[in-house]
Amino acid sequence: MAMRLALKGLGNRVMATIPACCWTIIDGAWPNHALKIPLMHTAFETAAIAASGIRAALDVKGEEDVTVMAWAGDGGTFDIGLQALSGAAERNENIIYVTYDNEAYMNTGIQRSSATPYGAWTTTTPVKHPESRPKKNIMEIMAAHRIPYAATATIAFPDDFVRKFRKAKDIVGMRFFHILSPCPPGWKIPSDMSVKVARMAVETKVFPLYEIEDGERVTINYWPEGRPVRDYLMMQGRFKHLTDEQIEHIQQFVDHQWKRLVHLHELTHGSLPEEAQATLTSR
Amino acid sequence: MSNNGNRWDPKKFKAGEIPDTSVTLTDSLNNKTGSWRSMKPVIEDKYAPCIKACPTNTLIPQYFDQLIRGNLDAAGWILLEHNPIPSVTGRVCPHPCELGCNRGRYDQPISIREIERFVGDHILDKKGIPPKVETGKRVAVVGSGPAGMSAAFYLRRRGHTVVVYEKEEKGGGVLRYGIPEYRLPKKIVDREFQALERMGVQFKYRTTVGKDVTVEQLLQEYDAVFLGHGAMKERHMGIPGEEHFLSGLEFLWEVNHGNLTPPGKKVAVIGGGNVAMDVARALLRLGAEPIVLYRRTEKEMPALKEEVERALEDGIEFRFLTQPVAARKENGKIILTCVKMQLGERDRSGRPRPVPVEGSEHDLEFDAVVAAIGEYVDTSFLPKEALDKDGWLVADRKTGRTPVKGLYAGGDAVLGPATVVEAVGMGRRAAEAIDAYLNGVEDYKPAPLPRTVSFKYIMTEYFPKAPRVEVPELPVEERIKDYFKEEVLGYDLDRAVKEALRCFSCGHCNSCGNCYVFCPDYAIKWVDDKPVVDYDYCKGCGICAQECPRGIITMEFERLF
Ligand SMILES: Cc1cc2nc3c(=O)[nH]c(=O)nc-3n(C[C@H](O)[C@H](O)[C@H](O)COP(=O)(O)OP(=O)(O)OC[C@H]3O[C@@H](n4cnc5c(N)ncnc54)[C@H](O)[C@@H]3O)c2cc1C
Ligand SMILES: Cc1ncc(C[n+]2csc(CCOP(=O)(O)OP(=O)(O)O)c2C)c(N)n1
Ligand code: SF4
Ligand code: SF4
Ligand SMILES: [Mg+2]
Repeated sequence: MAMRLALKGLGNRVMATIPACCWTIIDGAWPNHALKIPLMHTAFETAAIAASGIRAALDVKGEEDVTVMAWAGDGGTFDIGLQALSGAAERNENIIYVTYDNEAYMNTGIQRSSATPYGAWTTTTPVKHPESRPKKNIMEIMAAHRIPYAATATIAFPDDFVRKFRKAKDIVGMRFFHILSPCPPGWKIPSDMSVKVARMAVETKVFPLYEIEDGERVTINYWPEGRPVRDYLMMQGRFKHLTDEQIEHIQQFVDHQWKRLVHLHELTHGSLPEEAQATLTSR
Repeated sequence: MSNNGNRWDPKKFKAGEIPDTSVTLTDSLNNKTGSWRSMKPVIEDKYAPCIKACPTNTLIPQYFDQLIRGNLDAAGWILLEHNPIPSVTGRVCPHPCELGCNRGRYDQPISIREIERFVGDHILDKKGIPPKVETGKRVAVVGSGPAGMSAAFYLRRRGHTVVVYEKEEKGGGVLRYGIPEYRLPKKIVDREFQALERMGVQFKYRTTVGKDVTVEQLLQEYDAVFLGHGAMKERHMGIPGEEHFLSGLEFLWEVNHGNLTPPGKKVAVIGGGNVAMDVARALLRLGAEPIVLYRRTEKEMPALKEEVERALEDGIEFRFLTQPVAARKENGKIILTCVKMQLGERDRSGRPRPVPVEGSEHDLEFDAVVAAIGEYVDTSFLPKEALDKDGWLVADRKTGRTPVKGLYAGGDAVLGPATVVEAVGMGRRAAEAIDAYLNGVEDYKPAPLPRTVSFKYIMTEYFPKAPRVEVPELPVEERIKDYFKEEVLGYDLDRAVKEALRCFSCGHCNSCGNCYVFCPDYAIKWVDDKPVVDYDYCKGCGICAQECPRGIITMEFERLF
């Protein structure tokens, strides 16, 4: 779904690289892969550098209108692909890098990654020892490279999603997308709930929708009325074991992160929209 | 992509040849994922609760959809499928639909009646198309109130010859001779009758059934008869001196015949129902000083809340817990002897019974008194076989069928004093039953209503909260001065559309496209601006059903055997 929306935003003059991940399987092998665009399967850690290479080749050939997109999982981004990604970002390569984040190594059987949130069950963080560290903040890492554009998106907000990809298409330089992608088996949710869970992540401010331009200018795109994180957590089997204290801990963490983000928005824009105030007080 | 600019063409692909870039020969459509399915989504319109709550079962979200798309005529025709006089109900209906509206459980119900008025007025002079085929069957309709109008409209639409018998000189029943001008302009009633005439409905005015012609004669002369003669007999209070009173219906009848002189300056209005409210408010506009006397309190008044509120806004004086027990005439004035009441135990209607307070008798002086304490049905001219042992007319609520073959009835004549919309609904249902009867269908039963989409199936996430669009009205100071000025001005197109856009469209697919956007398997196809499931690809994940904001998609088990 996310891929479809991305390509809707980008059009069909696109080439992509996909490292080892679930999408390797979804797409399948040449010459029968599922996407109509030219596509290269790469080694697990090399999505960003391979995309940079294709970009360089296209530039040499003068095909500058073709957009190059790397499409990688959270494992391939937050963990093993991070050095290649950081290098590409530092060089401000003219590519779009998308991480669809299902918060674990799903393809190989739900092992934790540095994108797995605090408290979550995975096969390597069983209920007895659930994930003890907070999720790595990949957006801040990318912003720290002062790249022209970084944004979050989810399938539950398709208009916002497509708008951001259209916008990114016309920006030159490194563009980064962090997409929250619910995974029914990995999150222990029924498959028909994927969109609802993604929406709830946004509504509870666990996954805010925002953009960072030039690494500094922060814009929040959606101001949720605010619901307790419990509503989001309890939809998913991977959080069922959490105690009230743990949930309260997560709530405080989320509230704190949101306040920071709102503050950055205010710093950027000089003021807050009307609907902002309610989001700071209500849960 | 080769260097000379010739693109690699998958159609010319030969085995063994490898292009210089990874272009695919196929796409995701190659993989028919439909066989993975154990549940399947079924896309089907259902009923909105507003439709069920409206006694005519008007397809409300369906015609809203057309209105929003700018197809005003189409909206009007859908509306007319169930309600032939939306310009009338759009003004005077107590709108039970709005009580059923799902949006009422979210912020505020849709202002359905006001939208209906706008669409009804749009189609008012366009409707009235004669039927294409004449059946040659003849039906007599007794009474030209809303029940008779509705029966006549739907019978005529089916090609039957319809003759309406009306004892007054003009048609409309309560619409013409009861409800005052400022609530329902008589021009609107006229245009409703012009439409019926355009269709070819025939009218015999100044003809009283039971006097000029009997029901038995009609039954012989016609293939079927519909009774819609209303409940126009005024109840009596049974107190001494009552002969000095005017009845509410009499007073309104006079006013609607152009007699605009109030019966006096200071006028008592006895009663707490809608008729009492109309009498009091009409008196005020004609320059009198009405005082409403009611034996219970405001809370127990049977009148519509909306009407009571308007009367209070008008500044009309109410004396609650006041019961007249006798009247006498002195020097051209009427002296009413009243007692104070207090509320006692609840009676069978669930309302507290008013009991007199001992020693509270007092006299009040008026120029005139209008009593509006209720109406009942005249059954004196009906065949005995159509009445039960207490003398009430017997008729099935769903078909209007009476125990007499070929005799049907609806509206106040069956229900006792009720509402316009109930009369309209019964008129239509009776027309359908009569049509079946004329076509030789034995034991006709109307089709059961489809399933209703309740609030829990509405995805409110898709609907930002928004208050109702305000209805333009005359200011109170202005409206109380003029009996002839319509007090509610109604929506214009912009407001009607804006309000219709608040509607969740419960159970009616309005082509929002959510299922199309969210289906992960390209299994929703878009055909003629509507979604269609492509079962070759649908693997039954159920996302479309979850994300449909209005409960149209249901998941069903795939049957293998
Ligand atoms: C003052 C007043 C205000 C009202 N306000 C509202 C309102 O705001 N909203 C609402 O929904 N309802 C209102 N009502 C109720 C509503 O008007 C009635 O429920 C509705 O009109 C019933 O329709 P009907 O066709 O059954 O009868 P009626 O409207 O009473 O029509 C009966 C017709 O039959 C004719 N008739 C009677 N006997 C004979 C006969 N023997 N031969 C030939 N013709 C005959 C009568 O002249 C009349 O034209 C009001 C009623 C009154 C009295
Ligand atoms: C260098 C290397 N190490 C390990 C693997 C095995 N491997 C393939 S996919 C995968 C998990 C990918 O996880 P993520 O990037 O989060 O994508 P997801 O499967 O969750 O979509 C792993 C560990 C590999 N292909 N290459
Ligand atoms: S929201 Fe619309 S369709 Fe649903 S009950 Fe209300 S008026 Fe009817
Ligand atoms: S006729 Fe009355 S109840 Fe029916 S839709 Fe119109 S306003 Fe609502
Ligand atoms: Mg992953």
